[in-house]
Amino acid sequence: MISVTPKPLASQQVIRDLNSLTPEQVVLTIQNLNLYYSEKQALHDISMLIPKGQVTAFIGPSGCGKSTLLRCINRMNDLVDHCKIDGEILLHNENIYGKHVDVSMLRRKVGMVFQRPNPFPKSIYENVVYGLRLVGVKNRRVLDEAAETALKSAALWNEVKDRLHESALGLSGGQQQRLVIARAIAIEPEVLLLDEPTSALDPISTLTIEELINDLKKQFTVVIVTHNMQQAARVSDQTAFMYMGELIEYSDTNTLFTTPTKKKTEDYITGRYG
Amino acid sequence: MDNLNLGRHISGQFNEDIEAIINHVMQMGGMIEQQLTDALTAVNENDAELVKKVIATDRTINQYEVDIDDECTRIIAKRQPAAGDLRLIMSISKSVADLERIGDDAEKIAKVALESFSSKQQDLLLNLDHLGRLVLSMLQTTLDAFARMDFDAALGIHKTDEKIDRAYEALLRQLMTYMMEDPRSIPQIMTVIWSARALERIGDRCQNICENIIYYVKGKIARHLSADELNNL
Repeated sequence: MISVTPKPLASQQVIRDLNSLTPEQVVLTIQNLNLYYSEKQALHDISMLIPKGQVTAFIGPSGCGKSTLLRCINRMNDLVDHCKIDGEILLHNENIYGKHVDVSMLRRKVGMVFQRPNPFPKSIYENVVYGLRLVGVKNRRVLDEAAETALKSAALWNEVKDRLHESALGLSGGQQQRLVIARAIAIEPEVLLLDEPTSALDPISTLTIEELINDLKKQFTVVIVTHNMQQAARVSDQTAFMYMGELIEYSDTNTLFTTPTKKKTEDYITGRYG
Repeated sequence: MDNLNLGRHISGQFNEDIEAIINHVMQMGGMIEQQLTDALTAVNENDAELVKKVIATDRTINQYEVDIDDECTRIIAKRQPAAGDLRLIMSISKSVADLERIGDDAEKIAKVALESFSSKQQDLLLNLDHLGRLVLSMLQTTLDAFARMDFDAALGIHKTDEKIDRAYEALLRQLMTYMMEDPRSIPQIMTVIWSARALERIGDRCQNICENIIYYVKGKIARHLSADELNNL
């Protein structure tokens, strides 16, 4: 008889208590975060820990503040006029809203990918090495190697290796999105923020990206905002449900989608919201 | 179902699908209750016609099980239910399997009526009837609790299975005494033992259904738990 040790089932894995992670397990600590657009408060006292090397999903109806929260993590909200933030976001132990933080250095550590693929009108190769050139890397061999690694990590290498110097705009939507992910990971960030990365893609490209997200968490911590609840259920390790700027429930994905503790969460994920 | 807040799904079609499933399960439950009642009556009154009816109805029940289970699969594929909806579908899918087996057990019990018993052996059947009434009452309360998804009722019924197990053991001891006293009656007594066994199994299946109710309401798996652990759910 062949004896095989099967991969443990999800239900056999120990559920992490997200409130009692050790400091080494935590990448981001969000503490009492409030955000106001002029007078309107968009985020209410959000506190949560985001564990390292895992996928954390934010779900919730439109306007619940999930994208706003995601954008806080690499200070994209700095670009919005009349946006006021109090509270803290610690990347390891450093407050990213501290006085001496260099925002472009922060964004090297915390990369971001948006809803619609936004490749530069350059070649595929130049898109991927763009971030490295920006920080002054000139050595051709280093750039070549980085481009190959990033494209392989983004599961795009096999499709583009023979046309690296053709325009990135000739790629399909799904390929462009993976190219943008390759561009983001070429500079080896610690955290990768994905803001609805598949909402403009067809189902097959979506699955490719989801598969990619699963691979990416081996090297990076991934935080994803998605409108697609099944996608959150498929790709994430923990899920945060937000509603009207508040964090309603944040727990292990397996638990949240089978036995949520809050009524609002239950109503939302079973399609009773509204 | 009191504990179900249907009606508030954004998708009306989903509501209708779930309501249709629930109605089918209720109908199936009603048929099974009737099957067990008929089976016990058939044995008591030695009614061969009623046995035929029980056997024929079991086919319909089997079809119900297949149809409901199929519908559960279809809902999972098309609607990707989550949380309470998912637990409801899983509970239903498992409970109809138990209901269908209860139907098979009722059929087995009914077939006892086809055996011929001497007048001396009639009190054997009387004892069987006592166990039968206990089990029928457990089945009725179980179906009732399932209709209302009533956690407290399920927990209470879960415990009554012990009573049935005790009655079953008492009956077995009695039947063994009969066999020792009169070995020629062994074939008939074996028939009674098989149907007593079937009744005892119905009790177990009711217990399974109660566990499914507990799973739906609390999201906790109640199988293999001790009485104390159950009380702490």
